[in-house]
Amino acid sequence: MLHTIKEVFRSPKFTIGLAIFVVMLLVVFIYPLIITDDPLDIIGLGTFFEPGIYVNLYDGLESKTYVLKLEDAAANRIASKLGEQERLDIQEYLLLAGVPEEEIDIEDTEKLLELWLNNYDPTVRFPGSTSAKRKYYARLDASLDGLLSTEAAIIAVKNEETGELEEKSLVKQDDYVNVSKVANVRVLPLGTDNFGRDMLTELVSATGVSLRIGLIAGLVATSIGLTLGLLSGYIGGWVDDVIMFITNLFIVIPSFVLLVLISYSIGQEQRGASTVAIVIGFTSWVWTARAVRAQVISLRHRDHVNLSKLSGHSVAHIIIFDILPYIASYVVMAFILQISSGILAEAGLSILGLGPKTTDVPTLGLMMNWAMIYSAHIMGKWWAYFPVIVVIALISFSLNLMNTGLDQVFNPTLRD
Amino acid sequence: MKKRLLFVLSFVLIFSMFLTACQPEEVEEVVEEVEEVVEEVVEEVVEEPEVEEPEEEEPVAAGPDLDPAEVAASLPREETLYIAGLQWSAVVGWNPYSSANNNAMGVAAGNNARVPIFETPYMYNMINGEQIPLLADGDWEWNEDMTEATFKIKEVAKWSDGTPVTAEDVAYTWATHVKYETTAGVGYGEYIETVEAVDPLTVVVKAKLDEEGKAVNPLLVKAYISSEYVVQKAWTETLEARAGGDATALKEDPAMDFVSSGPYTKFYDDDQKVVFIRDDNYWGQDASMFGSLPVPKYLAHTIYADNNAGFLALKAGEVDVSQQFNANVQDLWLVDNLPISTWMDDAPYGLTASLPTAYFNLESYGLDNIAVRKAIAYAVDYDTIIANAMTNQSPTFDQVPRSVMNPTAGEQALYDQAAVADLQWVGNDIEGAKAILDEAGIVDTDGDGWRELDGQKLSYNAVCPNGWSDWQAAMEIVAAAGEKIGIEITTLYPEWGVYQTVFVNGDQQEYDIFMVWSDGAGPTQPWGRVRQLMYSKFAETQGNWNGNWGGYINPRIDEIITEIPATTDQARLVELYTEATEIYLTDIPSFTLMYRPDQFYTVNESVWTNYPSADDGRNIPPMNLLDGYSIAGLYELELVNP
Repeated sequence: MLHTIKEVFRSPKFTIGLAIFVVMLLVVFIYPLIITDDPLDIIGLGTFFEPGIYVNLYDGLESKTYVLKLEDAAANRIASKLGEQERLDIQEYLLLAGVPEEEIDIEDTEKLLELWLNNYDPTVRFPGSTSAKRKYYARLDASLDGLLSTEAAIIAVKNEETGELEEKSLVKQDDYVNVSKVANVRVLPLGTDNFGRDMLTELVSATGVSLRIGLIAGLVATSIGLTLGLLSGYIGGWVDDVIMFITNLFIVIPSFVLLVLISYSIGQEQRGASTVAIVIGFTSWVWTARAVRAQVISLRHRDHVNLSKLSGHSVAHIIIFDILPYIASYVVMAFILQISSGILAEAGLSILGLGPKTTDVPTLGLMMNWAMIYSAHIMGKWWAYFPVIVVIALISFSLNLMNTGLDQVFNPTLRD
Repeated sequence: MKKRLLFVLSFVLIFSMFLTACQPEEVEEVVEEVEEVVEEVVEEVVEEPEVEEPEEEEPVAAGPDLDPAEVAASLPREETLYIAGLQWSAVVGWNPYSSANNNAMGVAAGNNARVPIFETPYMYNMINGEQIPLLADGDWEWNEDMTEATFKIKEVAKWSDGTPVTAEDVAYTWATHVKYETTAGVGYGEYIETVEAVDPLTVVVKAKLDEEGKAVNPLLVKAYISSEYVVQKAWTETLEARAGGDATALKEDPAMDFVSSGPYTKFYDDDQKVVFIRDDNYWGQDASMFGSLPVPKYLAHTIYADNNAGFLALKAGEVDVSQQFNANVQDLWLVDNLPISTWMDDAPYGLTASLPTAYFNLESYGLDNIAVRKAIAYAVDYDTIIANAMTNQSPTFDQVPRSVMNPTAGEQALYDQAAVADLQWVGNDIEGAKAILDEAGIVDTDGDGWRELDGQKLSYNAVCPNGWSDWQAAMEIVAAAGEKIGIEITTLYPEWGVYQTVFVNGDQQEYDIFMVWSDGAGPTQPWGRVRQLMYSKFAETQGNWNGNWGGYINPRIDEIITEIPATTDQARLVELYTEATEIYLTDIPSFTLMYRPDQFYTVNESVWTNYPSADDGRNIPPMNLLDGYSIAGLYELELVNP
């Protein structure tokens, strides 16, 4: 026994798979201890905020300021509003407005802005120009306003009595704040989803739920498959006929179709995460049952089983002590695969809108479903769906890797 | 066994002989048909000696030798306006008397009637509430006691077969609606007595009168004139003959041979697309109407699999006008730099006119209690619904405080906002909601985290159709509010096919809090909306598509609903609407979750430009360039690269 376990851990595939899986499990358990926010809390007023560090502007203004003399600060500031594309667009406009080409130098910011100020007229409509283009130039014009100014910005508060603005502080162009000194900073490593929820927190919580679903589904499927396989294989006769009849029935019907139909008929109100898991388990036990039966049939006439029979052991005793240990390795491997396919089945169901209820818990499939409903994949909001895909892939990859590793250890023909 | 095999074999043999015997007959039939067609064509040519230059007629349609399917497969892009978001499956019919045409782009009568094919006497302009003459000549007029509305038909108005549109057509259309109990006939039957042709060009619509001799509802008479199509009498008679006087047969007729008066007619349709072609003889090119033909020769609508497919096509410039809810639409021009715009450049981007509303099922346990309804309505975070579910494509309840009015200036002026300001909650008031429940004695008695009313836990579902993404997201936010105040709310998204059979039943117990749209803009608004939200007569009826789905009953509101249509005094009108708003905000039989455009309107300027927009001063409403006065936009389109 100990030798087998040692052997298992000597398999690099199994070890890598296990390592990935354990790391994910650890994150699922440890992350909520550090970040205690409710994963379903709506924090963002708006959809799909980009990943990044969100610094409270109001607190930023109140924080201690540091003066940093950085050479390229002004250039960066200008470039953020007036990039390469904007310069070309301005050139295009100026040419249409009749400015001779040789007068336009798109690298000379000052001159370009001067030309722009003198020539931009929001009311003029050039032939072939679209209203989208006119609106674009209006926005550009507004964003260029005061671009070259070196004045400090004034922060003023409204006097409640007189209603007048009173100068409170000045923000100079080389003022900086230290993020760690600002009272409110929120790091959103994966941004927010369409509901304005913190993606990372939600993703970790969803991974946990999905693993649970996989585990329940795997347990249900493996125990049904194992029990039926053992009984039909060992007892044989009419018991075998009846069980195989049912098993074959289930094999003929594609299990995903069955899954969709059952989930649909349960109705959404009853569809909690565990219900979905059990349903998945109930529709995916067939191959386990068949494979276990086949192995048992090859085992049941072995000498040690016959010896056990002669010693007067009961059927249950023989199955548990004389047969089960020989197929245990296969069962463990089947169980791992069932977990993996259970997680994938939940994701598949949820993408079809047949997964667990959204308000209860996040799951990986539901996150994908909502990202699709809000066109995240079309709008290029990668953070709303890509990390979810990566997690699903990692879970399935690690479990399959473990399975292959085990297979190599237990199956003599596969040994190197 | 052998005998049986023999029997089968001989049967197969006989059957195949039978088939062979049939063949020559079929060929003969086809030959006969072809001969008939040839004869008809010859007859037609012989019958038209007056036409001096038949060559000039040729540009009409695609020419007789071109197969529409072939043309439709590769429409010239510079002559085609592509629309999306109206049609989601193949067209069933073109029958203006039917409500089951599944022909959203062509046949859709109503407040903002779609007029590319069939036309109404007047076009409604939702921006200012005007009814602009289309088939009619000049404004319509009430007689002195507001019981008869009179209008003229334009002399130049013609049917597609060249015959003039007459008052008789208008009268006969109404008579047919009544006789065959169409949706329009039943809907307006209680309010319109007859429609009569006084002379060939003058129509009088006579209202039904109550005991006092006043019109039952002058507002609906007004609405009829701009909402219902005029159909040709001669063609209607053909249709009647074909139906043999049977109402069901008449309404189920696909009407492939229809005669219409509009600028477009059907060209090609299958389960992939619908294409209309311009009628170059359209009467409206007369100087007294539009003065020209609409610019695009073809109107096409590709049938997309889902919202995302339509959205991708819009991004790719394959769609010019999109009536779809596109989340974060501003990213298309701000981030992707595409030549795409909406009605307005900034939030809420569209002209919002409808009020998607969540109804409380007053039969559900505890929802008959005002405190529970009020607490839920107060706790919901509407700002989040608007920012996240609607991606800011709605004004907030700070900007447009809640009432029974839509956000348009005309309707907002119809009630005294100051008088009800105390009642207009903005939402996300968790503490306030908890206080209301505590005060009413609805507290958590058994410590499970959920409140009980008389010992029974308050637990509800929040329901809307599956796939209606912004509504689904809104329901999630309603459910989240419930959790915060200790009332269990879970979301439920049945398919539309199921949903529409449940919520229309007054005594249904399945849905507790459920979303339904509200009337947008129209000639009867906001009266129609008040009626839809609260009219007792609709409560607890079966197959109810009219309103008051929660089953709210209040005799006072019924009086107001009866009084408004006959009221012409503006001050009194404001008084009545203010009272209606006050009752609505006090009793909370339902609550509005957001504002929403009547039609979403996003245009791509890759091919066409000069679309109507909010700031162009043209007053053309953003309704797909098809609905009501919006069709005027089709005459002003320009090619980006002519």
